[in-house]
Amino acid sequence: MFMHYVFVSASFLLKTYHGGHVVIRLALGGATNRPFYRIVAAYNKRARDSKYIEQLGSYDPLPNIHNEKLVAFNYERIKYWIACGAHTTKPVAKLLGLAGFFPLHPMTITEAERRQKAASIEEVKTDSQEQVEEAL
Amino acid sequence: MLRALSRCHTPVVRLLSPRTAVLVETVRGRKSRTDPIAKSKLGRIKTPPPVDPVEMVVLKERYTEYNLILRALRLEFKEQMLRKKYEEEVGSVAEERTKREAEEHRSLMALNDAENLRMRKIRAQRMQKEAEAAELKKREAAILRQQELESYIKEKERQILLLQEEAKDFITPDNLDQRIEEALDNPKNYNFAIDKEGRVVKRTAFQQ
Repeated sequence: MFMHYVFVSASFLLKTYHGGHVVIRLALGGATNRPFYRIVAAYNKRARDSKYIEQLGSYDPLPNIHNEKLVAFNYERIKYWIACGAHTTKPVAKLLGLAGFFPLHPMTITEAERRQKAASIEEVKTDSQEQVEEAL
Repeated sequence: MLRALSRCHTPVVRLLSPRTAVLVETVRGRKSRTDPIAKSKLGRIKTPPPVDPVEMVVLKERYTEYNLILRALRLEFKEQMLRKKYEEEVGSVAEERTKREAEEHRSLMALNDAENLRMRKIRAQRMQKEAEAAELKKREAAILRQQELESYIKEKERQILLLQEEAKDFITPDNLDQRIEEALDNPKNYNFAIDKEGRVVKRTAFQQ
């Protein structure tokens, strides 16, 4: 993958990184007990919330009045950055998988299976308990 | 002993226990490397979470497939982008752009030429009018000059005639004696008196 080079305009003020790469990740914002994530293309070495290259969307982890968690993606620009060799973090990859842009992440499937199994075991347990109570 | 509190951008939590009213920041790891283990943790053996081998195998397969698809996607996006850039710079898009620009240029040049023609016509008319006006002025000036010359000549002629008329009364060597005798015979008295109201009195006491 070829590296994306820094646009050298105010070159003395812009930081250049040795061996860094671009990542598409979630930058945390919001307030106390109210997180809000921006999906952002930034350099790997930058702090989580500091200057990014471009904002590619947002993710609101708290469900709204209709019980939906809102996610926004700018597919054109995400395509561009992935073509330029950007990595994605796990949560971003999971969200993109759920959105359909990427294939579904294996952990999403595995977690769902685990939950289903746990739920079925609970059901079996409650059924057996009810049976025991009926027998008594 | 315990690590000094470091300034971090993590929220501050006050431990409101009756024994230790200590201001603690929720920093990861309160203890440093050299601090002893707590009494409650002495016999603790940390074990990783249990792994289900069947699930693990399935998971590994899923991961390989996932990575394959992702790699393919990445390459495809790269190809798309390169193609778009190529089209933009060299291919059809650039051709259309050059054609459009040429069209624009031609139309603009046509507009410019038309404008120039129009302005030229207007200018020609204006120049013609100005030339005519200048011609008129010149002619009028010539007429005026002619008239002035004529009037001057006339004036001069009049003055000459006047002078000729006056020359009849001039004193010449021939008339000298006659005129002297006439002047001596008729003494003229130029004295007069005048008062503030303007009454003139010509008859004075002075004689001779």
